[in-house]
Amino acid sequence: MAAAIKNKKIPKPTTVQWRFITVLSLICLVFVGLAVRAAYIQVIDPDMLVKKGDSRTERVRKTRVHRGLILDRNGEELAVSVPVRAIWADPKTIHENNALQSKRRWQALADVIGQDVERILRRVKNPEKRFVYIQRQVSPAMADYVGKLNIPGVYLREESRRYYPAGEVSAHLIGFTDVDDKGLEGIERIYNEILSGTPDRREVSIDAKGRQVELHSEESGKKPQNIQLTIDQRIQALAYKEVKRAVSLLQATSGSAVVADVHTGEILALVNSPSFNPNNRQGVPAHRIRNRAVTDTFEPGSSVKPLAVVSALEFGSVELDTQIDTSPGWMRVGGAYVRDPRNYGVLDLTEIVKKSSNMGASKLAFSIPRRQFLDTYYDVGLIGDTGSNLIGESGGIFHERSRWSDHEVASLSFGYGIAVTTLQLARMYSTLANGGVRRPLSIIKAEQLAQGERALSAQTAGAVIEMMEQVVSDSGTGKKAQVPGYRVAGKTGTSRKAVPGGYGEEYVNIFAGLAPVSDPQVAVVVLINEPGGDLYHSGDTAAPVFSRVMSGTLQMLNVPPDDKSVSSLAALRSKNNDS
Amino acid sequence: MNSEKMDARNQSFLYKLHLDGPLLLGLLTLMIVGLFTIYSAGGQDWDLVQRQIIRLGLATTVMFLLAQVSPTVFRRLSVYVYIVGVLLLVAVLVIGVTGKGAQRWLDLGFFRFQPSELLKLAVPMMVAWYIGRKDLPPRTLNVLAALVLVVTPTLLIAKQPDLGTSLLIASSGIFAIFLAGIRWKLLSFFAVAVSAFTPILWFFLMKDYQKQRVLTFLNPESDPLGSGYHIIQSKIAIGSGGMEGKGWLQGTQSQLEFLPERHTDFIFSVFSEEFGFLGVILLICLYLFIVSRGMYIAMRAQEAYSKLLAGSITLTFFVYVFVNMGMVSGILPVVGVPLPLVSYGGTSMVTLMAGFGILMSVATRRKLLSRE
Repeated sequence: MAAAIKNKKIPKPTTVQWRFITVLSLICLVFVGLAVRAAYIQVIDPDMLVKKGDSRTERVRKTRVHRGLILDRNGEELAVSVPVRAIWADPKTIHENNALQSKRRWQALADVIGQDVERILRRVKNPEKRFVYIQRQVSPAMADYVGKLNIPGVYLREESRRYYPAGEVSAHLIGFTDVDDKGLEGIERIYNEILSGTPDRREVSIDAKGRQVELHSEESGKKPQNIQLTIDQRIQALAYKEVKRAVSLLQATSGSAVVADVHTGEILALVNSPSFNPNNRQGVPAHRIRNRAVTDTFEPGSSVKPLAVVSALEFGSVELDTQIDTSPGWMRVGGAYVRDPRNYGVLDLTEIVKKSSNMGASKLAFSIPRRQFLDTYYDVGLIGDTGSNLIGESGGIFHERSRWSDHEVASLSFGYGIAVTTLQLARMYSTLANGGVRRPLSIIKAEQLAQGERALSAQTAGAVIEMMEQVVSDSGTGKKAQVPGYRVAGKTGTSRKAVPGGYGEEYVNIFAGLAPVSDPQVAVVVLINEPGGDLYHSGDTAAPVFSRVMSGTLQMLNVPPDDKSVSSLAALRSKNNDS
Repeated sequence: MNSEKMDARNQSFLYKLHLDGPLLLGLLTLMIVGLFTIYSAGGQDWDLVQRQIIRLGLATTVMFLLAQVSPTVFRRLSVYVYIVGVLLLVAVLVIGVTGKGAQRWLDLGFFRFQPSELLKLAVPMMVAWYIGRKDLPPRTLNVLAALVLVVTPTLLIAKQPDLGTSLLIASSGIFAIFLAGIRWKLLSFFAVAVSAFTPILWFFLMKDYQKQRVLTFLNPESDPLGSGYHIIQSKIAIGSGGMEGKGWLQGTQSQLEFLPERHTDFIFSVFSEEFGFLGVILLICLYLFIVSRGMYIAMRAQEAYSKLLAGSITLTFFVYVFVNMGMVSGILPVVGVPLPLVSYGGTSMVTLMAGFGILMSVATRRKLLSRE
């Protein structure tokens, strides 16, 4: 048909005919090219573009929430959030409105927030920027004034500021937050998520003008919750006051104290000195911020001697009335010596504890299998996690050896060759005081108590406590730890601090104890680190602090006195002597 | 001849109206696609769609009317239309109305007229007439003369400045020359000449904003908030459509006003985002169908003038599609060329449909011509 037309009408049509075909083929090619281009953009490599598209429209909007409170066990506020404002600027708006012209207003702004006006103007100089902070955490009064200045492009924003009514008393424990309300230290950090909650989250699409056009998902966040601690702020304040005073009087490097409820394992107080003001942390050196009671480890010295007695009694190698010959006051163990200050001769168990005989403790340790002896350290909770869950808590230093030399075992029996924290020591004494049932120590008030585990028999615990009561007797090393009206048991620990190559001239003074002996309620550990004055025996340094902290604690907890030998008059008299 | 008769019988009604069935079907489909996309791109503005419908109606009427005119008449009018068109272009440069930084319009009192649109048809008509008078293929001298006929209005329009239209007009004329059967030697010579012309174009004829566009095209990320914004946003919109698209009225980039010019020049981005790669393929097929039909009509035309004119008009339509899609998908620089029959907008659509009217006139008058 086409041929017919060709022949009839068109002169030399072939010359153009094939061009049309060529052109049509080229057109097809071009369209294929366009399709390939579209395929590349849409199918092969769309992820980047899809993401870019989303990044222009998808937004996550969060509601602001106020951080939860931190309360002590009685509902006393330890950390609160105060509404404040942030002053921020949108330099673009400022420049668009020529707001920089009104120099007087800027001067007024600078004056009220106490900044140099030139500095503020420098910050808003770049008209490309859309957001700069001028000053954060401004009090409402100041913020109102700034609002009245009415500078275009300068705005206020709600935010909250953390305030710590307890100040330096609980600073280590509570910790603090940064300017964005994020917990940096202590409870604030550990429980940051509970305290801050999670804001309501809404994923939305916005258009080019920032208007919300679509709601993709709405997630109601967790409301911020308050946290109630086991701490009793009254005891905390007392303990802090006493430790601080002791550290200052004794010219010590630092001091710590822990008060624990022995039945529940709840920590009633945990203090350190030196401390810091959490409300104004400017220029505070880092060492003051350290929560030494949980981060720093010490060789506990004689304060762990009761464990030698406990393990021997539990194993059955000795009876309550067993006599042990400690003469001549020294012995050679391996390549080294174990010494007592003098030859104590034959001692019973009580006297070993009371006189703090290294010979006696070592011999008790030797009387039982090594494993048995070492297990006792674990069982009472001296080694390992206390359960408090605090930031930076040390697990102590205890090197498990496959073979223990006699000297190492002997050292362990009087508290060398092992390093523990104040809190770990408090747990050991809580276990003894709790009739031998070990509980984790807790800092957060919980409805339910963690299950306790029996570490030693109630009889052994009771017996050892009565032995330790003798330490606090008039003739014991811990006489100054006495609390009028109450029967108190405790143990001193005066250990030399290890330095490279041996032991140096600095001491760690520990007094750990519990009361009342007839029905133990409270365990208290006081540690004075490196006393710089003339006094370096725990009986003179830590014991008096222990006495006052224990005394105050027992009174505040309304623990009935159990020492019938002391009349109320005598108690009154001794109190007057103290002060 | 049998199939020819059956063809005629089947399409007798449309044929009598001088309409080409397949082409009309393709065009109407395209218009409907366009209306839906405009509704979505314009933020579901019904007024916008109504105005477009009115324009489409007007353009279709123009097409219908021109389809009734015999190609012979077009051939006779070619020279006059061309001369009037060029004179109007000169008038624009002298007394034209300035809008959007370019002098493109003549104010006729009751409406503004853009003479360059007339040239889109006048140039291929003129070239087809000039070359069609002689035997094909044309001789070198005739080709050069035809080129002058093309370049004159092109430069006048480029001066307005209106790069997109001058490009379209130049290509429509050159297509006519090419289809007439220019020799390959000559063709390569022109190719060299055009490449040599490019620097001249760059340094003397292009305005700064046009240069900027080309530079931006080469590296859109260099100025993402300024001149690169169109291309980047457009690519993002297309890309976020993916394989199946987000669905009609569901495109975020376009609906949310991130995309500029989204119901006019960049409507292809909106379409791509909402209908995805599959939609794009279908749209390309639709365009290919229309272009193929146009080429088929051109091939079957029995007379050189009709053949060249029909081919040239079809190719110009194709250039519209290619330049627009290429620009929107970032393989060509941004020049203001609408996506034919889909983009919202007036004048160019009327011209396009007028061109299709001529095509239909050619398609339905093969026998008439043969009886002459």
